[in-house]
Amino acid sequence: MRLFAVTVLVAGTLSTIPVQAEDLLAGADIGYGEYLSGECVTCHSQDGADKGIPSITGLDPETFATVMHAYKVGDIEHPVMKMVTSRLDAEQIASLAVFFASLPAAE
Amino acid sequence: MTKFSRRHFAGGLLAGSTALAMPSLAFGAAPRVVVIGGGAGGATAARYIAKDSKGAIDVTLIEASKRYYTCFFSNLYLGGFRNYGSIGHNYYGLAVNRGVNVVHEWATSVDTAAKKVNLGHGGEVSYDRLVLSPGISLKYDSVPGYSPEAQSLMPHAWTSGTQVQLLRDNVLKMKKGGTFVMVPPPNPYRCPPGPYERVSMIAHLLKERNPTAKIIILDPKAKFSKQGLFMAGWEKHYPGMIEWLDPDTHGGIKKINAATMEIETDLDTFKADAASVVPAQRAGSIAMAAGVNDGDWCPINPANMTAKADPNIYVLGDASVASSMPKSGFSANSQAKVAANHIRGELTGSRVYEPRFANTCWSLIGTNDGIKVGANYKAGAEKIDVTDKFISQGDEAADVRKATYEESLGWYAGITSDMFS
Repeated sequence: MRLFAVTVLVAGTLSTIPVQAEDLLAGADIGYGEYLSGECVTCHSQDGADKGIPSITGLDPETFATVMHAYKVGDIEHPVMKMVTSRLDAEQIASLAVFFASLPAAE
Repeated sequence: MTKFSRRHFAGGLLAGSTALAMPSLAFGAAPRVVVIGGGAGGATAARYIAKDSKGAIDVTLIEASKRYYTCFFSNLYLGGFRNYGSIGHNYYGLAVNRGVNVVHEWATSVDTAAKKVNLGHGGEVSYDRLVLSPGISLKYDSVPGYSPEAQSLMPHAWTSGTQVQLLRDNVLKMKKGGTFVMVPPPNPYRCPPGPYERVSMIAHLLKERNPTAKIIILDPKAKFSKQGLFMAGWEKHYPGMIEWLDPDTHGGIKKINAATMEIETDLDTFKADAASVVPAQRAGSIAMAAGVNDGDWCPINPANMTAKADPNIYVLGDASVASSMPKSGFSANSQAKVAANHIRGELTGSRVYEPRFANTCWSLIGTNDGIKVGANYKAGAEKIDVTDKFISQGDEAADVRKATYEESLGWYAGITSDMFS
């Protein structure tokens, strides 16, 4: 089984999270991801601007999903993202990942 | 329940039944949605319906103001953390980018039988579905002596705009060592932490310019949102400046005399050099005119935000009875997306997904000292219920509080883009 690793920098702490890559995007539904994205874009600007909250548009979908799983299990600590991810299952995360990957990255 | 039915929340059935009840479809015209109120609920709903239906739904937004000043972040303007222009927004994006027909008029009444909205300067707009997001109206007489006349002397400043500018000016003109009195509203009201963030921002202003001034809060409530966090913050940033009196202590507000700037309670008569009086609130008047209220607020069906009184009308934001969800811009924005998705499904047969509600409220206590509270919600049969929640901790490090403040700046940019772009 191939492992997918992503390194993220959160609050000055480097953390490497191994995830099973082939499962990350299973069940992705881009239309459903677009609906679910409504919850994200209240804070994360949909044009990719970062004015205090990180840009999430145009990211590699596996990276996006990996980070979301890391918030969900608490490997990256953030109270809002912990709450957001707590009610997202793997297919919903995959759907969001492919939707946001389809948007242009920040300039 | 299968995965399919979880996602496709009652979509096909509703779409099928709706087509029969839609006379405009018979003529080949696009179905019409009218949205009243261009704030966090209404602007978001208009934008999402127009954007996602890609022209299949004709969307009209009725909003009297050509420029909308957000209530959220108006406290940061009071404290000097934002300039006034930065909290103002127009409807260019909705009209030009999204093709929404923006009508700058007052909606004065709704004929729910004929499905028409009457406008203040004559004329009418017909709808297949109506979205009401009118915000609040103030119940001036809930505070004896308070009135639309008195608000020029003791601004409520609870609907943003000019009143907030007036309040800031009044605070800046206070005599040295003077007293500012804040009278918060009783529950339920728009923006639960708002009065206490307002006090924090006025304290910040006074600490810089009038450090011997005092602030007295005459609260009709025995407790308030994020109370522990606010009170600890006041002690840290503004020691000895702020005094919060609960109703057991002051005994209730008996009378206000704006001309003499006196506020009479059982305990004492307080003479203010500047004051803000925020009366009790109810749903915006157009919701009453449409007859979808039960008393002061409008009951809704949690699954889709339709009014209990009329399946063709949706009520969003402060005007609705959203149970555990606070009356906040974030809540209204979240509810708008649930309603928009349902409306599209009803009118065009698009997929209707399960409703998802969320809210987060950030507050600023002092420079780089931000706090937040938030929750997830689900649609129960009768109520919108909390499923998960969090609140900032009292022992957080300064860098966490600074990050929370910076996050709030990002949220402001995000939500205003989500409403107006």
